Amino acid sequence: MSIMEYNGGAIIAMKGKGCVAIAADRRFGVQALTLGTDFQKVFPATDKIYFGLAGLATDVQTLSEKFRMKVDMYHLREEREITPKTFAHMVSSTLYEKRFGGYFCFPTIAGLDAKNEPYICNMDGIGCITTPNDFVVSGTAENQLYGMCEALWEPDLEPEDLFETISQALMNGVDRDAISGWGGIVHVITPEGVITRTLKGRMD
Amino acid sequence: MEVLLGITGKDFVLTASDATVARGIVVQKRGEDKSRALNKHNLMLFTGEAGDTTQFAEYIQCNTQLYRMRNGMDLSTKAVASYVRKELATSLRSRNPYTVNLLIGGVDPKTGTPSLYWLDYLSSSVKLNYAAHGYASYFCMSTMDRYWKEGLSLDEAVNLLKKCLEELKVRFIGNLPKFVVKVTDVNGIREIEI
Amino acid sequence: METTATLRFLDAPASIAAFKHAASEDDIEATASACVDMAPREFAHPTFDIPAINNPVEFLKHQTSVDAKNRIKIQHGTTTLAFKFNHGVIVAVDSRATGGSYIASQTVKKVIEINPYLLGTMAGGAADCSYWERELGRRCRIYELNNKERISVAAASKLLANMVYAYKGMGLSMGTMVTGWDKTGPQLYYVDSDGQRLKADLFSVGSGSTYAYGVLDAGYKPDLTPAEAIDLARRSIFYATYRDAYSGGFVSIYHVKEDGWEFISRTDVNDLYYQYAAEPKPSLAA
Repeated sequence: MSIMEYNGGAIIAMKGKGCVAIAADRRFGVQALTLGTDFQKVFPATDKIYFGLAGLATDVQTLSEKFRMKVDMYHLREEREITPKTFAHMVSSTLYEKRFGGYFCFPTIAGLDAKNEPYICNMDGIGCITTPNDFVVSGTAENQLYGMCEALWEPDLEPEDLFETISQALMNGVDRDAISGWGGIVHVITPEGVITRTLKGRMD
Repeated sequence: MEVLLGITGKDFVLTASDATVARGIVVQKRGEDKSRALNKHNLMLFTGEAGDTTQFAEYIQCNTQLYRMRNGMDLSTKAVASYVRKELATSLRSRNPYTVNLLIGGVDPKTGTPSLYWLDYLSSSVKLNYAAHGYASYFCMSTMDRYWKEGLSLDEAVNLLKKCLEELKVRFIGNLPKFVVKVTDVNGIREIEI
Repeated sequence: METTATLRFLDAPASIAAFKHAASEDDIEATASACVDMAPREFAHPTFDIPAINNPVEFLKHQTSVDAKNRIKIQHGTTTLAFKFNHGVIVAVDSRATGGSYIASQTVKKVIEINPYLLGTMAGGAADCSYWERELGRRCRIYELNNKERISVAAASKLLANMVYAYKGMGLSMGTMVTGWDKTGPQLYYVDSDGQRLKADLFSVGSGSTYAYGVLDAGYKPDLTPAEAIDLARRSIFYATYRDAYSGGFVSIYHVKEDGWEFISRTDVNDLYYQYAAEPKPSLAA
């Protein structure tokens, strides 16, 4: 079994009309054994940027702490908030620093830039950025989530519709994956603020 | 074959570790305490690679006590867990990582609010209401799912622990005759007989 | 693909020695070297193509051994349980089938109704379980026609154990509980593809079995009422589906009584989660 499947997990980010959403499941497990059902995989970077980390749980925690420190240091040094694109490149180069013996973690980033333009991207474990115009998925339920997103996503979704779309994609995607699920969490980032909701899901 | 168990109650954490030290097919000692008191209200239980376990636990113990000497106050359970996770995560990427699995249990000395952290040798850390390490998790997690509830009294928690140990006795192939059982509450850490 | 090279016998009929257990003495002679590890021939009516070489068990290692690259992957995750009590036998199973971490189905029927008096459960290879338990049903019927009485559960489970033991080492995967009510009362046997056959009051089989045991052992006693026993079985499977990633779906429950088995219920474990979460927990007072 791959080390990326040791703990399990699923993450999606989607673009909407003037908004973005990011969602993740809540399971923490060790292979087949589910230990926790409130594990945090999505973290705020700024008020308008959230990032999700799918993969080995220890690296999820290590990297989330590292990124928080780097974002805070950027804020102090530059006296302005980091933009999603800059943040993505910071994440990318942090991962590539460990090109030879890397983190077992695939980051997903969702945010609004200075002009409130939506930005989403995700990466492999060594920092190769992909920036599609619709949605990104990662984690052990990746294949299932691609199917759900291809079927449900449409352009210019308003925040509430985007929330419904990403939630349906996540919950139905993870229901076909044995090692992710056990509830979900969704953040919809709008210029007015972030809407955060937890989702009840199948607990098996 | 090693077993660690932890159960949070109303204002305490109840922990149990098997007292057997085995190497290969030989039992070297019965009666080993696989835990270290980090400070007055925090206890760390450990299993894993022989040597790594006590070396790492005592390193953490020394540093939490040094923290108290330097700052005149103790680290909270959350802070200890966070510190331990960082140390273990750093070690994980080193040439010779510590292979230790941990339970860190403690209470807030003022409110008595208990907390219990589960960390594995990869340094994944989760806060749980009840936890187990080793094969015990396969046998005891469902028992605890069935019977654990918020605000257990010490008697109730001890009864739940007995149920878990009974299940291990019935179903687990390993022979673990003795457990070191400890209670951590506002008065400190004490060993109890069950 | 690499496998086609090593499985040549599949497409060249001339090289196949169709190994028939019920064949003539001559055929037996001819394949004598191939059947050193085979069962006594009286057990076998079905025939399978067996690789035409000296030692099929050795030959099949590339598919059957745990670390083989070409290992045939079969559905594994399961939680099943059965226990005897004063009012018969309760059988409970989950309904998930997985292929790796992919959930292939949430609606698998893991209780096999062999006949109105016999039930078998399914863990391991779905095809192996359903084939051999169907074959068992056929033989039990033939026994009934020959002897004018129903077969005992002991005999039925032994038939099954002997049948699969004939193919030991060739990759069969089956962990099943055979249960029923015969002249001697309620009966429960565990039979697996190693040829192991056990009789006891309580079994759980599958990846989630340890979790099921954790709830079952704590609540089991022989004098449970049928309603209590059914509830205990359902909870045991439920907690296994919660903790074990490879178990899930629905809990199906059967009750074996003197006049045959009765299907009790099929409940979505997700409904159970929210139902149980709203209930008070049992007392822990000593």
